[in-house]
Amino acid sequence: MHGFAFVAPTAQAEVTGLLEEHGSEARLLAGGTDLVVGLRTGAIRPRVVVDLKRVAELRPGLSDAGGRLAISATTPLSRVVRDGRVRQWFPALAEAAATVGSIQIRNRATLAGNICNASPAADTVPALLVYGAEVVIAGRAGERRLPLDRFLLGPRRTALGRDELVTSIELARPGAGTFAAFGRLTRRRGVDLATISVCCSVDAAGVTRFAFGAVAPTPFLVADESGVLADPDADPETKDRVLAELTGLARPISDVRGSREYRQAMLMVVSRRLLRSVVDGRGKG
Amino acid sequence: MIGTSARRVGGVERVTGRQRFTGDVRLAGMLHVKLVTLDCARARIAAVDTGAASGVPGVRAILTAADLPRPIPRYGPTYRDRPVLAVGETKFHGEPVAAVVAETEEAAEEAAGLVRVACEELPAVLTVASALDPSAPLVQDPELRPDDLLGRTNIRREWHFGWGDVAAAGADCVVDEVYTFPMVTHFAIEPHAFIAAPDRDGLIIWSSIQHPYLLQAAIAEVVGLPLSKVRVFAPDPGGAFGGKQHAKFEPLLAFLALRTGRPVRLALTLEETFQAVRRSAFEIRVRSGFRSDGTIAFHDTECNALMGAYADIAPRVIAKSGYLICGPYRVPDARIVVRALLSHTTPATAFRGFGTPQVAWAIESQMDEAARRLGVDRLEIRLKNLARRGDEVVPGDRPADGDWAEAVSRAAAAIGWGSPLALGRGRGIAVAIKASATTGASYAIVRLHHDGSVTVMAGTSDMGQGARTVLAQVAGQELGVPLERIAIVMGDTGSVPFDLQTSASRSTVFMGTAVLNACREVRRQLAEIARELFGLAEGEVVVEPGIVRAPGLELRYEELLAQAWGPVRGELIGTGVRRGEHVPAHPLGGPPAFYEFNCTAVELEVDRETGEMLVLRHVSVADVGRALNPAHVEVQDEGAAVMGLGHTLMEHLLLDEHGRIRNLGALDYRIPTTKDLPLELRSLLVENGDGPGPYGAKGAGEGGLLAVAPAVASAVAEATGAVIRDLPLTPERVWQAVEALGRGGRPDPPAA
Amino acid sequence: MSETARVSLTLNGEPRTVEIGAGRTLLDTLRWELDLTGTKECCAAGECGACTVYLDGEAVNSCLVLAAEADGREVTTIEGLGSGGRLSRLQEAFLETGAIQCGFCIPGMVVAADALLRETPRPTLDEVLQGLSGNLCRCGGYTRICAAVLRAAGAADVTG
Repeated sequence: MHGFAFVAPTAQAEVTGLLEEHGSEARLLAGGTDLVVGLRTGAIRPRVVVDLKRVAELRPGLSDAGGRLAISATTPLSRVVRDGRVRQWFPALAEAAATVGSIQIRNRATLAGNICNASPAADTVPALLVYGAEVVIAGRAGERRLPLDRFLLGPRRTALGRDELVTSIELARPGAGTFAAFGRLTRRRGVDLATISVCCSVDAAGVTRFAFGAVAPTPFLVADESGVLADPDADPETKDRVLAELTGLARPISDVRGSREYRQAMLMVVSRRLLRSVVDGRGKG
Repeated sequence: MIGTSARRVGGVERVTGRQRFTGDVRLAGMLHVKLVTLDCARARIAAVDTGAASGVPGVRAILTAADLPRPIPRYGPTYRDRPVLAVGETKFHGEPVAAVVAETEEAAEEAAGLVRVACEELPAVLTVASALDPSAPLVQDPELRPDDLLGRTNIRREWHFGWGDVAAAGADCVVDEVYTFPMVTHFAIEPHAFIAAPDRDGLIIWSSIQHPYLLQAAIAEVVGLPLSKVRVFAPDPGGAFGGKQHAKFEPLLAFLALRTGRPVRLALTLEETFQAVRRSAFEIRVRSGFRSDGTIAFHDTECNALMGAYADIAPRVIAKSGYLICGPYRVPDARIVVRALLSHTTPATAFRGFGTPQVAWAIESQMDEAARRLGVDRLEIRLKNLARRGDEVVPGDRPADGDWAEAVSRAAAAIGWGSPLALGRGRGIAVAIKASATTGASYAIVRLHHDGSVTVMAGTSDMGQGARTVLAQVAGQELGVPLERIAIVMGDTGSVPFDLQTSASRSTVFMGTAVLNACREVRRQLAEIARELFGLAEGEVVVEPGIVRAPGLELRYEELLAQAWGPVRGELIGTGVRRGEHVPAHPLGGPPAFYEFNCTAVELEVDRETGEMLVLRHVSVADVGRALNPAHVEVQDEGAAVMGLGHTLMEHLLLDEHGRIRNLGALDYRIPTTKDLPLELRSLLVENGDGPGPYGAKGAGEGGLLAVAPAVASAVAEATGAVIRDLPLTPERVWQAVEALGRGGRPDPPAA
Repeated sequence: MSETARVSLTLNGEPRTVEIGAGRTLLDTLRWELDLTGTKECCAAGECGACTVYLDGEAVNSCLVLAAEADGREVTTIEGLGSGGRLSRLQEAFLETGAIQCGFCIPGMVVAADALLRETPRPTLDEVLQGLSGNLCRCGGYTRICAAVLRAAGAADVTG
């Protein structure tokens, strides 16, 4: 590993100061499960690594106020998975977060890190998109918020400015009658990177949302507002036509995890299955 | 003691982290080595500039081919074809061009990154097709084999085996198919580690090696020292599976130690182990004839095996593949052509099963194909053709040496063969035999101390198979000593006598017999002492385990020795040997000491829409002669089964056009985890005491993976109708096959 | 800013301080600076679990933790399990069920299993399979390792 300085500031202002000073030569460290691998391989060669875990404002934790749940940037995924509010209000996020790596990984990796790493296959992103997550960003100029789909710009690219960091992820509690589920396809049953991932939700108004992962430069959100997909009695062929339109927006590539054709086909299969389970759950719920 | 599941000798050290693996050895003044490699498989090396690298603080030496003797020293277990460093051109991705030695790993790594190699990428041979293409570049310089008629091809060797007359053999049904088995890598959890240190007028090597005595010989040869001046310490390997049989970077380290005068250490990263060892990939065409009742008429086979840039032990692996390709069956006529092909890829080496998984994949899939076409049950067709004890499998060679049909019947019963199947499910059953060790010599010393405790010195490597435990059990049984009073000394060529190798499931049979013989020699000496001490005649003294008896006399060993020796004391030293002599006329250098037979049966469920599979039940039945430690035999077999599921379902090395491994590392080369286990995994043992080893034991531990792929593919075919002839059976490949059926692709008849 | 770091941690109950390069991982620091070689390195990418240790009571891959992050924290390694030279019940169970083969994965496996049992003292087989899915073993096929964990948890003897 090449040389760099390690700093562990205790105040958020110090972090933004370091970022302003070092720009892209500074890298933020939350869980480190992506960063440390990059440091080892030399894919990432910063001059300074800034550990966020001692920053007073960024203490790990989840808090809810006014129907919104805020997940701080240093909260490990294992805590997100265990949190009762996440499990009750955002079950698809709990499912998605539980698929990230092993327990050892989830004890370190964070939701903010999963987002900021900006991998097309980030497992939590489809769920966060479906739940309309907002990214809370702090910089020298103060705080701003971005919907997650505007935060992610491309593989390894986010909307963060030079002096900015993500301080938390916020989710509005879905209205009554919203059901969601997460699914993915992998090469083995054990811990694996997703070949494709899908999150599906249907709200009380009958709007069906899908977010697709690992099939485009960034995970992306689509919706059926016609109510066809949410209708348990709709004709399966019509449903498939709508689904095919939505999944057809994907632009998968071929790589070691799967071919373009397989990904495209599986997007349809997994989406159809998830939709069925969500609509069934809604029918029972 | 024999036949009990004694706790693993060395278990406490392993469960507490106290076990010292090679990578845990720390020597005073030890330097660290990093290899300098290029970003493609094959490149002409124009110049190596070490200027900037030399300036890194802590760098002590940078070695390039120019610093080595000319002609460059070469090594290899089959041919001396591998240079200590790449000379002129690199021949596979990861082949070192230079080596940096520094005070710290960080400095070595930094400096290695600063070595500038001016080079030009050259076209590379990466596939069977290109290796066979007469216009392809030659992987090896024909000068290396001037008298070889194939010297100007990439065919390193070609064998023709067979019997009977295939051309004249008639058949009611001919099945002609091609099967492929990709490159896979060993993925021992312990990456290879090596240390070399100058030792007065010689060298000491530490290595996570399976064959310390062959490493000793290889080092002695490349540096020009007598065997007595090269001492190899071989700490128990952290998994080996064939990948640690032969020298890898130890010769390079030997030169670095001599150059720096200090101990030098190289621990490979996991990625570097992927570039160091793999299994040969195979393309196998089989034309098989069957009678209408399913009886095999003939097999006509052609195997093209893709080795790497250097032969390592792959030619022997490939020869063994071909020799027994027809499997555990009575085959009246066979024609077998096998080619060992050179390519610009990772040198292939031994890998658990030693060439058998590849050929079993082809032949067992042929059996299924014939069963489907003839409307014969897949179990039935196997039982019909299976060699019974005493039947020849290869005419003139060792006949069938087990009750193989018993193993098949037990597997069939355990999987519920013939009972109704749920929708989407299928069952498969497959068999295989592997030729065990043929030649080889094992020597053991057993020392009976005057307090009655015992030290066994045996050159086997305990790489997880439990050699320490089983050899201790043999000594304990023979000498009546509890395991906790027995020490097993291994892994030091300086003090432990010669053992050719730890491979081919040979240690229980070969070294076990040597230890048994050494113990019996100790007992003979005890009898002699008792006769002299008490003035008894031949036949009046009986030495039993732990006890010496004579009329009116019953003494424990230590009591006898105390009476005989008094305060001067002493010890008894027994030596034992088991040799299998080289038979020049035999295609394998000698007949197999035994066959390792396995029958694997599975039941699985296929998700037709995604191609995902769930193995519900997996049964592995091994014919082991006698299980000296049943728990250890079973866990070996279970491990082999899961490893077999790895190459069946998910493992393959993928190359890009530059010959680089695309899935280099644990992130994208997937092996089974706990969650990939079959829902139920059973290992059953057939024990008829009919092996050549101690107490009727045969070797074990490889069988469990031999027949997994054909059994699983057979079950997939039954579940979906899709017949797949290429591994691995990834969800995507299964999905493609099912889709092809739906599109009216090649119509395969449903499973029989 | 310095490229070295001074790290004080509580290691297996004892205070220790080391001066290291800021890029040094906890794994390397344990193995090279603190002389604890029980924790093993395999993939160095968080995929194999051979380097699993406790960091502030949670199982982590020490190859993915910078040693500097452990400043002021508690680290427990395989060497810190068991007490007074006695094996833990879990370690005993690994020996009893024949779960150990080459043993290279075992230290990480034992720490991960220990963490699993602390979180879930009476796990189901599924929970064990899930809890150990981040630890690769290439020798033994996992079944006996899982049996060892269940045995240590006081479950019925599942080794048959």
